[in-house]
Amino acid sequence: MMLQTAGLSKNFGGLQAVAGVSLTVRERTVHSVIGPNGAGKTTLFNLITGSIKPASGTVKFLDQDVTHWLPNRLAEVGLVRTFQRTSIFRRLTAIENVALAIRSRRKLNYAIRMSRGEEQEIRDEAAALLRQVGLRDRENVTGGNLAHGYQRALDIAIGLALRPKLLLMDEPLAGMSRGDRQGIADLVLKLREELGLTLVVVEHDIGMVMRLSDVITVMQNGRVIAEGPPDAIRENPDVKRAYLHGSFAA
Amino acid sequence: MKAEPATLNAHNIGAPATRRSSFLTAAALVVLIGAATPLWTQDMPFVLILASHAIIAALVAVSLDMLTGNTGLLSFGHAGWYGFGSYVAGLSAQLLTTEILALVLLTVLATALLALAVGSILVRQLGKAFAILTLAFSQVLYAMVFIASGVTGGEDGLQGIPVATVLGLQIARPEVWYWVLYGTLVAVLCLALWLRRSPLGKAWLGIRENAERAQFIGLDVFRLKLLAYVISASLAAFAGALFVLVNGATTPETLHWFESGKILMYVVLGGVGTIVGPAIGAAVFTFAEHYVSSFTDAWLIYFGALFVVTVIVAPGGIFGLLRPVWARCTGRSERGAA
Repeated sequence: MMLQTAGLSKNFGGLQAVAGVSLTVRERTVHSVIGPNGAGKTTLFNLITGSIKPASGTVKFLDQDVTHWLPNRLAEVGLVRTFQRTSIFRRLTAIENVALAIRSRRKLNYAIRMSRGEEQEIRDEAAALLRQVGLRDRENVTGGNLAHGYQRALDIAIGLALRPKLLLMDEPLAGMSRGDRQGIADLVLKLREELGLTLVVVEHDIGMVMRLSDVITVMQNGRVIAEGPPDAIRENPDVKRAYLHGSFAA
Repeated sequence: MKAEPATLNAHNIGAPATRRSSFLTAAALVVLIGAATPLWTQDMPFVLILASHAIIAALVAVSLDMLTGNTGLLSFGHAGWYGFGSYVAGLSAQLLTTEILALVLLTVLATALLALAVGSILVRQLGKAFAILTLAFSQVLYAMVFIASGVTGGEDGLQGIPVATVLGLQIARPEVWYWVLYGTLVAVLCLALWLRRSPLGKAWLGIRENAERAQFIGLDVFRLKLLAYVISASLAAFAGALFVLVNGATTPETLHWFESGKILMYVVLGGVGTIVGPAIGAAVFTFAEHYVSSFTDAWLIYFGALFVVTVIVAPGGIFGLLRPVWARCTGRSERGAA
């Protein structure tokens, strides 16, 4: 199994943000987590990726217990995340942003020299990744100077540079224009088809979630209230109740 | 259509080569002028001694930039390591050997070990907490000098350090000291710049830019910060060791917070994160301090004002001001911020 959480819980003060969530993500699927604001989606995400430590429960990645692992160790074994608020290296060029991740994957973080051949290889790989996410011709633009949509794409390219097995994307479409949304959605499908990636996506755009996902998990008040393929979720009465005001029109 | 990328490529390949050669020429020229200082200061022995002290200040400034410029960790107590180095080398010279290489090696090793222990606590802290703790640690060292005054000489400092030797030959003449120090500075600058461009240096920059994301792409932020801290502390102590050997004495002032403040000013004045800038800042500061303080006791007021003006008007420091001039000389526009 790609990812498996069991009884994962976290409370902030008196608030039970995530309460005993057991989630199973199968290989080569797009698995979305949805739910109203405050449902605990982002907290669940942070628990899985090592940003915060769970009060109880376990996280297993490829049948290995990775609970309490630090993010850098998770990245090494192929569990990689992208960020809701774009998280890039703003004063480095786009290609250097990606090259940093490639060197990290190649365990060059402590290297004090690198052969010209290796440097070129990394540059080529970084350029190819940038092309893949639609940043051709923007290699030498500093991250902070890219338009918002391109920054999101760069964020994803940094994640892909780590050659993840599982990519967790926290609201990849947040704050994007309609055209850019379509671009990212196409990219997500392409990643699954061409790279065989497994993706866990937290997203508010229900229409997009319905179109992209193989499996959808619905959360409310820190708990899972429904799970299944998009069609089943659409008809689920509990889910309809959770989303009172008809966000499911799409 | 197909010809266009080809011309672009030719242009791109040509550009760095010209840049590189004009940079190397300029650098070689500066190095030569600096090395010739003892020749034109023969009638002004004091200037040469001042220049030697400026070089030591430059070494300390570079050491702080290795930490602050590379990883973004701000140290308010860097003089702690500088002073620590001066005491370790001074005491060792009195008790063990006068061989400069052995003294320097011993100092760097002792410092690296202590910095590893102290750093593994400190670098877990972020921002202000780190800065305050570095200050606290340097003040602890300062207090230790007075507590162990039987060994350290207390307020009087460590006096009567024997003249340093190289394979038994004494380094006595000021111009020889100058060349030793100057050669050291050039070597350290080259090494620091080389590190900056290495994968390790770029990993540090990644942490400075966005430590959270750096960790999520697999960088061990703690270990990388600790490594920068140990290197930085060792280099500061190395400068302290040279200071005590050149000067023949050291005092508790070398580890005082006021000295830490000065080191920080060198770096800000010269340009944080530029390696060469802080060295220039330190040299300018050292000469200005001497000449301005001979006119007025209130020199600190002027320097304080200069500091404020620098931060507001030229946040890139002296190096930041020189960059466009350099670009104009070589006819090239500035590249993206490094």
